[in-house]
Amino acid sequence: MTTIFGVPTQALFGQLLLGLINGSFYAILSLGLAIIFGLLNIINFAHGALYMMGAFVAWMLLTYLGLGYWWALGLAPLVVGLFGILLERFLIARLYKLDHLYGLLLTFGLALIIQGLFRNQYGVSGLPYAIPSELSGGQRLPFMFLPNYRAWVVVASLTVCLATWLVIEKTKLGAYLRAATENPTLVQAFGVNVPLFLTLTYGFGVALAGFAGVLAAPIYSVNPNMGADIIIVVFAVVVIGGMGSILGSVITGFALGLVEGLTKVFYPEASATVIFVIMVLVLLVKPAGLFGRTA
Amino acid sequence: MAEASRAFDPAPAGAPLLAVRGLEGWYGESHVLHGIDIDVRKGEVVTLLGRNGAGKTTTLRAIIGILSKRTGSITYEGVETIRMASRGIARLGLGYVPEERGIFSSLTVHENLMLPPRVKPGGMSVAEIHALFPNLKERAGSQGTKLSGGEQQMLAIGRILRTGAKLILLDEPTEGLAPVIVQQIGRTILKLKSEGYTIVLVEQNFRFAQTLADRHYVVEQGRVVDMIENSQLDANIDKLHAYLGV
Amino acid sequence: MLRSLLLATALCALTTAGALAQTAVKIGVLGDRSGVYSDISGEGSVVAARMAVEDFAKIDPSVKAEIISADHQNKPDVGAALARQWYDRDNVDMVIDGVTSSVALAINQVTREKNKAFIDTGAGTADLTGSQCTPNTVHWVYDTVALANGTGGAMVKRGGDTWFFLTADYVFGQTLQRDTTAVVTKNGGKVVGSVKTPFPTADFSSFLLQAQGSGAKVIGLANAGGDTINAIKQAGEFGITEGGQALAGLLVFSSDVYSLGTKVAQGLVLTEPFYWDLNDGTRAFSERFAKQMNGRKPTANHAGVYAGTLHYLKAAAALKDVKDGAKTVAKMKEIPTDDPLFGKGVIRVDGRKIHDMYLFEVKKPAESKDPWDLYKTLATIPGNEVFRPLNEGGCPLVKG
Repeated sequence: MTTIFGVPTQALFGQLLLGLINGSFYAILSLGLAIIFGLLNIINFAHGALYMMGAFVAWMLLTYLGLGYWWALGLAPLVVGLFGILLERFLIARLYKLDHLYGLLLTFGLALIIQGLFRNQYGVSGLPYAIPSELSGGQRLPFMFLPNYRAWVVVASLTVCLATWLVIEKTKLGAYLRAATENPTLVQAFGVNVPLFLTLTYGFGVALAGFAGVLAAPIYSVNPNMGADIIIVVFAVVVIGGMGSILGSVITGFALGLVEGLTKVFYPEASATVIFVIMVLVLLVKPAGLFGRTA
Repeated sequence: MAEASRAFDPAPAGAPLLAVRGLEGWYGESHVLHGIDIDVRKGEVVTLLGRNGAGKTTTLRAIIGILSKRTGSITYEGVETIRMASRGIARLGLGYVPEERGIFSSLTVHENLMLPPRVKPGGMSVAEIHALFPNLKERAGSQGTKLSGGEQQMLAIGRILRTGAKLILLDEPTEGLAPVIVQQIGRTILKLKSEGYTIVLVEQNFRFAQTLADRHYVVEQGRVVDMIENSQLDANIDKLHAYLGV
Repeated sequence: MLRSLLLATALCALTTAGALAQTAVKIGVLGDRSGVYSDISGEGSVVAARMAVEDFAKIDPSVKAEIISADHQNKPDVGAALARQWYDRDNVDMVIDGVTSSVALAINQVTREKNKAFIDTGAGTADLTGSQCTPNTVHWVYDTVALANGTGGAMVKRGGDTWFFLTADYVFGQTLQRDTTAVVTKNGGKVVGSVKTPFPTADFSSFLLQAQGSGAKVIGLANAGGDTINAIKQAGEFGITEGGQALAGLLVFSSDVYSLGTKVAQGLVLTEPFYWDLNDGTRAFSERFAKQMNGRKPTANHAGVYAGTLHYLKAAAALKDVKDGAKTVAKMKEIPTDDPLFGKGVIRVDGRKIHDMYLFEVKKPAESKDPWDLYKTLATIPGNEVFRPLNEGGCPLVKG
C-alpha cells in the first residue's frame, strides 16, 4: 500500500474529502460574515448564535409543526433572516456612526443573550435531529465510506456560495452592494435606499448562517453552544481570507477545511489550533489577509 | 433678512428651479457654511467661484443632502429638501458628480454607468452616452478605476445623464485634467445646456467657467459675497481677482 | 459546689436550647448553571436538594435546612472562591454537586481548610477518594474507575476484546482512557490504538475514520457532553455500528442520550448508577422532579444531590450540630446509607459512596415508548466490584 509519511494514501484521500466537508461550513459562515462586514462595517459576533438558531428552528419546525428537513432548509433561513432584519433595524442600525468596537460589543452581547435564552429553554445537551431518509446511507468509495448526507453538504454549500458570488458579481443588485460597500454616501446620493440595503444585506448574511445551521443539524449536536464553538474558527477564516473579501472567504473556508483535515491525520492534537497558527502567520506576512485589499 | 444690505440681488427675475436661502452647514462640530443664498433658473449654468476651502464643495454636498448637518432652506421645484435624505433629494431629479468622481473600483465601467437608478423619465440612453463619450464604450468591461482621470470624469458625468436628472451638480470637473480633456468636458457642458439641462458648477478656473456660465456666485468663508453676470465678468475682473486672490 | 452548680446550669441551658431550637443547616449547591454541564447539574441540582430537604422535614422536623446556589462556570478558581466566600461569610455548612473534576478538586481543598463538608456528585475524578481524599469529602455518584470497570469490563466479557480510543485531549479524557485501558487489559483485551481529539470538537468524522480503519471491535469514547454526542451522532452517519464495531460511551448521562434520540444512539452500551425508570422509588422521584423541571428527567448527578443531601441531613439530625465538617462526614460514614434512588449502601472511610452500578444499552426506537424511554438494563454490577478497592486508591485516611 502506498503511504505518505506513514499514512496510507487511501486514508489521506478520505481525510481530504472530510476536510472539504468541514470547509463547507466555514465557507458559508465566513461568506455571510464577509458580506456583512463589507457593507455594514459590523463584525457580526452574533453569527454563531444565528447559525445555532437555524438548527433550532429546523428542530422546532419538525417537532411543533411536523415539517421535515427540506422545509427547514427553506424556512429556517427565512426565519433567521427575518430575525436578523429586526436586529439590524432596531439595534445595529443605531451604531453605524460609531466605532467598530460598539458593533462588536453589541453583537457579542446579542450572541450571549440568544444563547442564554435557548439554554434556558432547551438545556445544553442538545436536541435530536435525524438525517432525512432521502440522504441516509452512503457510498462505498475505493478509499472511504462517504455518507450521502456529507456529499449533499458539499454540493449544497458550493451551490449556495457560487450562487451568492454570482449574484454579487454579476447582477445589478450585486453592483449596488459592491458600490455601497465602497462608498455608501455616494450611492445614497444617487437615489438608492442604502439603509434598506444594509438591512436586507444583514438579513441575507444571517440567513446564510441559518442555512448552515440547518445543514449542520443532522450531523452535529444541536445545542445552544454549537455556534459559539465554530464561530471563533470562522472568524479566523475571515481574517485569513481578508476582512470583507467575498471570494476570499469562500476559498479560504474550503482551503482551511482541507488543512484542518490533514492535521487531523498527522497531528490530531493540533487540529483545533492549526487555523489560528495560520492566521498569525498570514497576519504577519499579509496583514490585510490573503485576498484583502490594503486600504 | 436684511435684503437691502446686500451688495447684489440673490434672486434675479424668473421663478428659480433651485433656491437656496440662509443655508448653514457643519462638518461634525465645525461650522463651515454661514449663510448661502443661491438661485438657479431652469436651463442655466451657474458657477460657484471662490478660494480653496471657501465652502463651494460643501454647498454642493448640502444641496444633494450628504452633509450631516444643515439648516436654512433649499427648495427644488418648490419642494423643501432641507429635511430630506439624499436619496429622496436625488429622486426629485438632481444628479451629483463629486469632486473625487466617485468611480467604484469593484465595478466595471459598464456597471458604473448603469449604477445610478433612473429618477426621472427622459434620461439619455446608453447609446447616446457612448456617442458623447466614445471611450466609455471601448472600455466598458474594464475595472472602473483603471480608466484615466479624464475618462473617469466622463464616466462620472455620463452615469448621471442616464438617470433623467435635470439639475446636475458638477464639482470641479476639470481638476487635474489635460487641456484637451478640459475642452472636451467644456463642450459637453455646453451641449447639455443646449439640451435644457440646468447645471451648478464648482470651478477654480474662472477663465474656463466664463466660457460656459450664465452667472457666477462668489463664495467666501461660507458665505455668498457676490453674484456676477457672465456678461459683466470682464468688467469686474479686478474685483474677482481680489476675491480669488489670484 | 459553685462549680457544679454552674455546670448544671450550663447543661440545663444547653439541653433546653437543644429541645427548643432546631438544628440549623445551610447547604450550598455549587454547580454548572450555564455551561456544558448545566443539564447534568444546573437548576436540576437545586431542585433535587430542595426535594431532599422537603422529604426529610416530613420525617424529622428537628433540622432546619436552607439552600443557596451558585454557578462555578466550570472554572476551578471561581469554584474555590465561591466555596470560600460561602464558608467564611455566608455560614454554609456543606457544599454539594461540584460537577467538573478540576473544580471538584479545588472545592475539596477549600472544604478541608475550613473544616466544612463537601459531597461531590458530579465530578469523575477518582482522586477525590484517592490521593486527594480528605476527612471532609464524600464522593457519591460515580468515578472514572467505576465507569471503566463497568463499561470496559462488560464490553470485553461480551467479546469486545480489541479497543480504539477517541480521547478528549485533557486530563479527564486521558484519565478515563488510562483507567479503561487497565480494565481492558486485565480482562484479556487489547488496545490497538487511540487518537487525541481537541476539546471541544464538533466534527469527529476524521477520527472515526481512523477508528474504523483500525479494525478494533470497540470504539471507546473517552470524552463527555457535546463531544460524546457529536461522536455518537457521526458514528451512526458513517455506518460504524453497522460495520460491526461497537461504541462504548465511557461517560454518558441520560440527558446526553435523550438529546441524541434512540434512533442515533441505539445499541450504545454505557454504565450509570441511576436511571429514572429503575424501580418504583426512582420513578416516583423522577416524576416529581420532572414536574419542576419542564418535563426533564433527573440525571444520576441530580439523584446523587438528592440522596447525598438526605443522608447529610440524617447525620445533622443525629449530631444536632454540623459546624465541625469532619465530624459530620464521619457521622455520615458511620450511618449506613438508605434512600429510594441508590438503595442501601455505605460510605467508605476514603469518602467513596458504594452502591451498585448498571450496565445499560440504549433501546431501539421501536422499543422506546416515549423520548425519555431510553435504556434497558444489561447487568447489575455490585458496588464492591465496580468501585476501586479501598487499599488501591492511595488515600492517606486508609490505614494498613
